[in-house]
Amino acid sequence: MSEGPAPLSRLTAELSQLPGIGRRTAQRLAFHILRSDESDARSLAEAIVEVKEKVGLCEVCFNLAEGPRCRICEDPSREVSLICVVEEPADVIPIERTHEYRGLYHVLGGALSPIDGIDAEDLRIAELRRRVEGGGILEVILATNPTTTGEATASHIADLIREQTQVTRLAAGLPVGADLEHADEVTLGRAMAGRSNV
Amino acid sequence: MFVARVEADRVRSLTGVVFEPDPGLTVIIGPNGAGKTNLVEAIFFGLTSRSFRTSDRRDLIPFGSAYARCRVTVSGTGVDHMFMASASRSEGSRYTMDGAKIEQAEAAGHRPKVTVFSPDRLELIKGPPAGRRAHIDSFVAARWPGRAGLRSAFGRILAQRNALISRIAAGQADRSGLATWDSQFAEAAEALAGSREKAVAELGERWAAAADELGLEGPKSLTYRPGAATTSEEILKGLEEKLENDLRLGRSSWGPHHDEIRVELDGRQLRRFGSQGQQRLGLLALLFAERSALLETGGGAPLMLLDDVMSELDAHRRERLVERLLEGGQAVITAAEGELIPERGAILRVAIADLLEDSREVAG
Ligand SMILES: Nc1ncnc2c1ncn2[C@@H]1O[C@H](COP(=O)(O)OP(=O)(O)OP(=O)(O)O)[C@@H](O)[C@H]1O
Ligand SMILES: [Mg+2]
Ligand SMILES: [Zn+2]
Repeated sequence: MSEGPAPLSRLTAELSQLPGIGRRTAQRLAFHILRSDESDARSLAEAIVEVKEKVGLCEVCFNLAEGPRCRICEDPSREVSLICVVEEPADVIPIERTHEYRGLYHVLGGALSPIDGIDAEDLRIAELRRRVEGGGILEVILATNPTTTGEATASHIADLIREQTQVTRLAAGLPVGADLEHADEVTLGRAMAGRSNV
Repeated sequence: MFVARVEADRVRSLTGVVFEPDPGLTVIIGPNGAGKTNLVEAIFFGLTSRSFRTSDRRDLIPFGSAYARCRVTVSGTGVDHMFMASASRSEGSRYTMDGAKIEQAEAAGHRPKVTVFSPDRLELIKGPPAGRRAHIDSFVAARWPGRAGLRSAFGRILAQRNALISRIAAGQADRSGLATWDSQFAEAAEALAGSREKAVAELGERWAAAADELGLEGPKSLTYRPGAATTSEEILKGLEEKLENDLRLGRSSWGPHHDEIRVELDGRQLRRFGSQGQQRLGLLALLFAERSALLETGGGAPLMLLDDVMSELDAHRRERLVERLLEGGQAVITAAEGELIPERGAILRVAIADLLEDSREVAG
């Protein structure tokens, strides 16, 4: 198979680095971009550059942020004595959608998983500890996924900070093995309302 | 609930075979290679979309054909339901009830549970403990559906702990991470061991009674032999004590993954010292014990599919087995020769040759 012009192969190669995109799909996307309007192509390129330039991680909670702090940390109406701990930035979205929760977040960046080589040092657990030790935190809600790795992470964190503050876990009711990201609003809202001490 | 009709459209050597079993006991008779086991497998496949002989459904596709398909009609609850399972090389497998796709968990509520005896399953009695653990865990899941996940939950935690142990042994991780996984391990191990203990306690006496009834003579017992402590505190303590050993081995050497469900006759393990016939009776008694436990606790009687169950049993014990099967519930058994089956008016006898002839006429 001929590789075509160099810029085209470069684009194909870049696209095939994306998760879930194989070589063939990458090629199809590349040809699609090549055929599209100049303005559409430019807008896509700018969006990619902009997301890298403008979206980073919040310096407080490690949620996605445009600037040093995320919108939630900057919102003066949020309850600053509550921290909800989640695995990934994507897990913040379904909890926000329930409108049950008005506190702050802490995004760990994953869950403990020796199989994948992920130990406590690889997660933002030390940063969470520092937030709690800073004082003024009345409750930490552990909302890691109800999976093997999520449960282990929750229990690890609970053991670390139980002395300093009240620690709760989202109520069972989330189907075991389910990801937070895929839980529906009703179940998640109920889980948030019925959380229990751990 | 019972199976009223089986249409093995294409399953292994069977094409267009229609079979209507009795709600009680049916015997399928035919010489070696006639297709008896294939028919029993077809019933299981149509009901569950799985096979008890193979994990690859494509084995059921008739040689030279593109797909396998079986339809099974379940009656007895007022409305009939038709289950259909198929497997195809190009399109994967399908499982439907009344024409609509259905998941295993949902289907289970609309069809009878199925218990299978086949000569391969003697491995359960003869083989290593892992098979008995898996079997008891599946009984736990049938008996207490809320506990169905305990086995796999423990398995996942064990895998994580093993990974951590081998990374610590290789100097890639430090020991501080162990406490978390040990406590997860201890909790899951306690839940799993507790369920196994409860299950075996329910089955023990029933097993001995069924075995007596089938003619397995002598003092006997079915007991749970935990491979580790059974309370989470003791398990935690044990894990600490065995840590150095675990690190040397690179895995968790202690826990419910070493449990045994011991089957004994005359104080000796049936798996090591039992005769072929005794092992067969031991397995049958276990299946009957599970059936009676499920029946008494409000579950429906499972359909019993007993393939090639009569061989190696003497005339007296064959009688007892048939008596037991006639006590209630639906059963389908196979035999190479009709003489192996005691004469009873209530038994429906079906010659596989007749089923095959009918299918040829229809295709005709
Ligand atoms: N996928 C397949 N397609 C077609 N024929 C098959 C397939 N798999 C197995 N067979 C054939 O089916 C035939 C009947 O097998 P089956 O095991 O049902 O016989 P049986 O009546 O149970 O015999 P036995 O009394 O020896 O147990 C065998 O000759 C076998 O070769
Ligand atoms: Mg056979
Ligand atoms: Zn923030």
